[in-house]
Amino acid sequence: MDKDRAVGDEKYICRCEEVTEAEIREAIKAGARSVVEIKRWTRAGMGICQGRSCRRLVERILADELKLKPEEIELSSFRQPVRPVSIKAMDE
Amino acid sequence: MTEHRCDVAILGAGVNGCSIAYELSKRGKKVILIDKVVLGAGASGSCDDMILLQSKKPGILLEMAFKSLDLFEGLKTELLSDIEFETRGGTILIEDEEHLSIMEEFVASQNRYGLEVEIIDRKRLVELQPLVAEDIIASTYSARDSQVNPMLLMKAFLLGAKQKGLRYISRTTPVAIEQLASGWKLLLDTGDVVEAEVLVNAAGAWANDITKLVDFQVPITPRKGQVIVTEAIPPLGETNVWSAQYIVSKLKPQEAVKTSAGESAPTQTPAERFGLGFAFTGTHNGNYLIGSTRENRGFDKSTDPEAIALLSAQVERFFPVMSKINFIRTFAGLRPSTPDGMPFLGEIPGAPGFFIAAGHEGDGIALSPITGLVMADLVTGKKPIFPMEAFEPGRFGGKAGL
Ligand SMILES: Cc1cc2nc3c(=O)[nH]c(=O)nc-3n(C[C@H](O)[C@H](O)[C@H](O)COP(=O)(O)OP(=O)(O)OC[C@H]3O[C@@H](n4cnc5c(N)ncnc54)[C@H](O)[C@@H]3O)c2cc1C
Repeated sequence: MDKDRAVGDEKYICRCEEVTEAEIREAIKAGARSVVEIKRWTRAGMGICQGRSCRRLVERILADELKLKPEEIELSSFRQPVRPVSIKAMDE
Repeated sequence: MTEHRCDVAILGAGVNGCSIAYELSKRGKKVILIDKVVLGAGASGSCDDMILLQSKKPGILLEMAFKSLDLFEGLKTELLSDIEFETRGGTILIEDEEHLSIMEEFVASQNRYGLEVEIIDRKRLVELQPLVAEDIIASTYSARDSQVNPMLLMKAFLLGAKQKGLRYISRTTPVAIEQLASGWKLLLDTGDVVEAEVLVNAAGAWANDITKLVDFQVPITPRKGQVIVTEAIPPLGETNVWSAQYIVSKLKPQEAVKTSAGESAPTQTPAERFGLGFAFTGTHNGNYLIGSTRENRGFDKSTDPEAIALLSAQVERFFPVMSKINFIRTFAGLRPSTPDGMPFLGEIPGAPGFFIAAGHEGDGIALSPITGLVMADLVTGKKPIFPMEAFEPGRFGGKAGL
């Protein structure tokens, strides 16, 4: 069973993992309140760019849904590496 | 201040807390699920995805893992959202003759116990794993080893329970627990109060932060595992993969630590210091998880370059092609570890109605369905389908000092 991926007028927020705005709003309605929770629930930000392009957008949707100011959204953490690194480079 | 009332309050929204919440909600109980952080903030959000039968010694945990696997088959259709449950089989790579003979013995004992697992030669291994390193001489193979996406599993349990009336409260923890004439009262750090007939402590490696509020201690300690996540790539092979080294070191510690003759005080290699073992699985999305370590470092969840270098070297050793692949993330999780490798599942001595379900170490995902079932039985006064003696919370002594 594959997750329904809306097409056409649906807006992709995370392009790497193809997560739509509707999916993110749905996660917030189900209880997510931070970028980290959205990431775990929807995979937004889990792809090759690790959220560099979508984090701000996710924060904006969170602020909108939760009626918060952007600075009131919980900060997200970063784990190494910040950019993709080859396994070979790592083991040297 | 808000006062909540419920039948059961569960502390800890990891895979086990969520499974128990789901099962109790299904049985018509009014449940509140509380997490100090958020759903999946503990080990269940930072782990691999395997339902591994092969790694287990014959015994009750293997039987429970069998039962869990059956339950997963049912959950796959019963739960409202996809949990990415798949049965791809598993292979444990064998590097030399010495490990081969130990694994032959181990596999024979598992077969006598009813687990279908066999030793396959290099030729058959290559059919399953075409890109495996050239010097791997053999492997085990079990067709039943499976996998599931832990995050989707928790989410599906939670949404299923919510549909039956569950209330989920994140970002709060009890600061005091009082026994009432019938039931328990939790004072939360928000000032809110929860009154419940029954409490279930499912706080994984953090379980003692809760039991200590009633002066009880269980010997659960965090055991860190570090993991590398690769970019999404096409599948390398069919099965999930481990190396025999880890199993051998569990079975025969003296064989695993190979020291030269006459050496009196063997110094630990970096791999030993990090408790390095090889676990390699491809996720539904094509990312590979390369794990992992077993370290006693307290509650520190950081990843470090030395461990990541060891994990990288290890995956290149078993799958040379991986040197070309990029990794996009690393993470670490804390397994709830116990001295005898058994979780604590049951009522705390001296605290009637106060249950604990924690200490699943490296098998918590695999065992979560059966944990939900037996705990719901205990909570509702039904006799569980397994004997529970081996899991007694008081087996290392202690009694709640209420
Ligand atoms: C690297 C790694 C790989 C693994 N691979 C596998 C695998 O392949 N297969 C498998 O079956 N298992 C695996 N495991 C083990 C598995 O992750 C754990 O056994 C399982 O997640 C434990 O689940 P839990 O619900 O008991 O605890 P956790 O998931 O740790 O949940 C405990 C929850 O309690 C919350 N909490 C803490 N303190 C409090 C408090 N005071 N009040 C309220 N809430 C609190 C935490 O925030 C957390 O959300 C792995 C673990 C690691 C680290």
